[in-house]
Amino acid sequence: MAKYIKIYPERCTGCRECEQVCSLFHWKVVNPYRAGIRIERKGVVEHFQYICNHGVNCNFECMEACKFGAIKKENGIVFIDHNTCTGCGACTRACPNQAVWLFDGKAYKCDLCMEDGNPKCVEVCSQKALEVVE
Amino acid sequence: MSVMGKVLFVDLSNKKTKEEKIEREIYRKFLAGDGLGAYYMNKLLDGKEDPFGPSNVLIVAPGLLVGSSIPTCGKTVFFAKSPLTEGWGEGVFGGSFGLALKQAGYDALIIRGKSREPSYLLIDDGSPEIKSAEHLWGKSTRETADILKKEEGKDFSIACIGLGGENLVRYAIIDCDDRQAGRGGLGAVMGSKRLKAIAVRGTKDIEVADPEEVLRLTMEWYKKLVESQAYRDDTLYGTGEFLEWMNRERGTFPTRNWREGVFKERKEIDPYYWVPRYSMKNLACIQCVKPCGKAFVIKGGKYKGTKLDGVEYETLFALGGNCGNPSIEAVAKANELCDLYGLDTISTGGCIGFAMDLYENGILTKKDTGGIELKFGNSEAVVKLVEMIAKREGIGDILAEGVKRAAEIIGKGAERYAVHVRGMEPPAYDVRGIKGMALAFMTSPRGACHLRSGAYALELTGKFWKYEGVDRLSSKNKGKEIADMENFMAVYDCLGACKFSRSLFLIDGFSDILEAVIGERYTENDLLKIGERICNLKHLFNVKCGWKKKDAKLPPKMRIPIPEGASKGSFVSEQEEKEMLLDYFKARGWEEDGKIPREKLEELGIAEFFDR
Repeated sequence: MAKYIKIYPERCTGCRECEQVCSLFHWKVVNPYRAGIRIERKGVVEHFQYICNHGVNCNFECMEACKFGAIKKENGIVFIDHNTCTGCGACTRACPNQAVWLFDGKAYKCDLCMEDGNPKCVEVCSQKALEVVE
Repeated sequence: MSVMGKVLFVDLSNKKTKEEKIEREIYRKFLAGDGLGAYYMNKLLDGKEDPFGPSNVLIVAPGLLVGSSIPTCGKTVFFAKSPLTEGWGEGVFGGSFGLALKQAGYDALIIRGKSREPSYLLIDDGSPEIKSAEHLWGKSTRETADILKKEEGKDFSIACIGLGGENLVRYAIIDCDDRQAGRGGLGAVMGSKRLKAIAVRGTKDIEVADPEEVLRLTMEWYKKLVESQAYRDDTLYGTGEFLEWMNRERGTFPTRNWREGVFKERKEIDPYYWVPRYSMKNLACIQCVKPCGKAFVIKGGKYKGTKLDGVEYETLFALGGNCGNPSIEAVAKANELCDLYGLDTISTGGCIGFAMDLYENGILTKKDTGGIELKFGNSEAVVKLVEMIAKREGIGDILAEGVKRAAEIIGKGAERYAVHVRGMEPPAYDVRGIKGMALAFMTSPRGACHLRSGAYALELTGKFWKYEGVDRLSSKNKGKEIADMENFMAVYDCLGACKFSRSLFLIDGFSDILEAVIGERYTENDLLKIGERICNLKHLFNVKCGWKKKDAKLPPKMRIPIPEGASKGSFVSEQEEKEMLLDYFKARGWEEDGKIPREKLEELGIAEFFDR
């Protein structure tokens, strides 16, 4: 079972296909703002991938910050329940990795594609800049 | 589905903006991208406009599949009347701009008029605003984008011009994310409107008809793409991968202003040499999983600090072989300067090579060049001249006009050395040894261009798609071949599909894709019909601009046989040129003078644009 997605920014080409398939899989539309991974172009040849690492490099600050119990953990996967989420933004401010963000009144983050257990972003990253770590 | 339903009109003269619905019927007939551009260019312009005047338009239209997740289909197209060819102008790039524009709610952006002061257009999920760009005027493309992202937000996509566009260099381009578009001076059109940049942010959902099926198709095509030979070539060595083969096996790599077809001093120019030494990683267009871009970085020496997405095949020719320049670092530096100033590398290299040829033949002297020893092989001169062109200094001011006009200005027999078709400097295919491409250069709506037909692989290898046994050294039966390929590639430019996907999708590959994305089935014939419709519209526009059959001719150098190599002795005769052109007009159903008969326009459902 996937524990988290490891990033290799030095391999990221900036194609942002990961954002597109993530939002399409989860929300049936293409919209990078709804993706659980965000790519930022830092320079001419530099990119960075913002994506939650589910506790590998944090202390679950988002869960701590959420006063509504909208952020849950199941089998090591931290995910947001949009039915409960009020879009207050406390989690986005608390996250030390800038891996949670608000859009359209809800918080979005990586859930390791828990619906079928196969992270889509990794599947379309031809440069292996994203790696599933078990 | 996957279309946003609207076009945004912006008038820079009176600062008014207007949204208009695009009727379903228009999408059906023209799809998006190239199709919408061809439609609006004909609808809005009568061809008499001054390319640098306020009545010229600048149109941007993302491909239909932008934001559909279908891999390697993220291209966006720009259009305007070209200041270089005085006719149809278009350019395609894979920058994120198209995705942002769609998410802002538009399938096309149409800019008219002219701003009194330097301005930039801000589009934030709709709500267009024209703001002052006084603080940006004069800055490089990179700096402009960085500043605007700081001021407006880092998730904005910026399309902008550099000094080249500001100074109306006739082949200035538009930059986004270090990808460039607009051969033929679309950047100069922007500059003539005093429009420094367009900053777009869009957050709207892009919907598809069948999300599960689209995702499944994305994964399926992803696998096919990464297993293809094209994937290996492009991701390992970039678009220049075949440079050695082109030189050794075909001898059709234009060298030293088209004197030769083989560049003997190509050792460093070959990506097999420079990728391991200078490339830090691959770079990609939006939505592309077979990245052909290379993060080229020079860490030491004379050009230390040079950083760019490059060097593409065309630039290896233009700033390398065409100038006899054997130094990859100098090529990369010159490339970076072109990107920063916003100049098309192909035309820039075409002009510099032309100037070198004139210098070596005594038509230009040190007095004209400001003391520069402008001989082939002078790497430093290549770098210096890029700057002089962008700034319109000295000889740069003349070369900024393009080889056609420069030759007219210089006189003294310079015209014999000017290599262009209808004013457009050609790309890296020595068509003396690739006769189908000689025809393609003549018939391409934007002047000498290899991408409108994309027939280079077919001609060079003999087979592609439904064609096989094609002989590049024969001028027979090339009419239908080039017309078919132009229709084929017009489909790609409507969809935003990258032509470097080679033989992967072809046309029929898009039938299932379109059904899942937009909910309508298009057969291969349906799509090619649309391609034909668009090619006719582009030619119709050119006719309105004053195109005459005699303009579709090859330059004098094409009569001189290639001196050495695999295509030694090959050239295009006047007879062949005439025959191929007539053959093409016949294949297109056009008259012998190249005009489109009314019946053809009616057949294609575009008779409303008929104008005699």
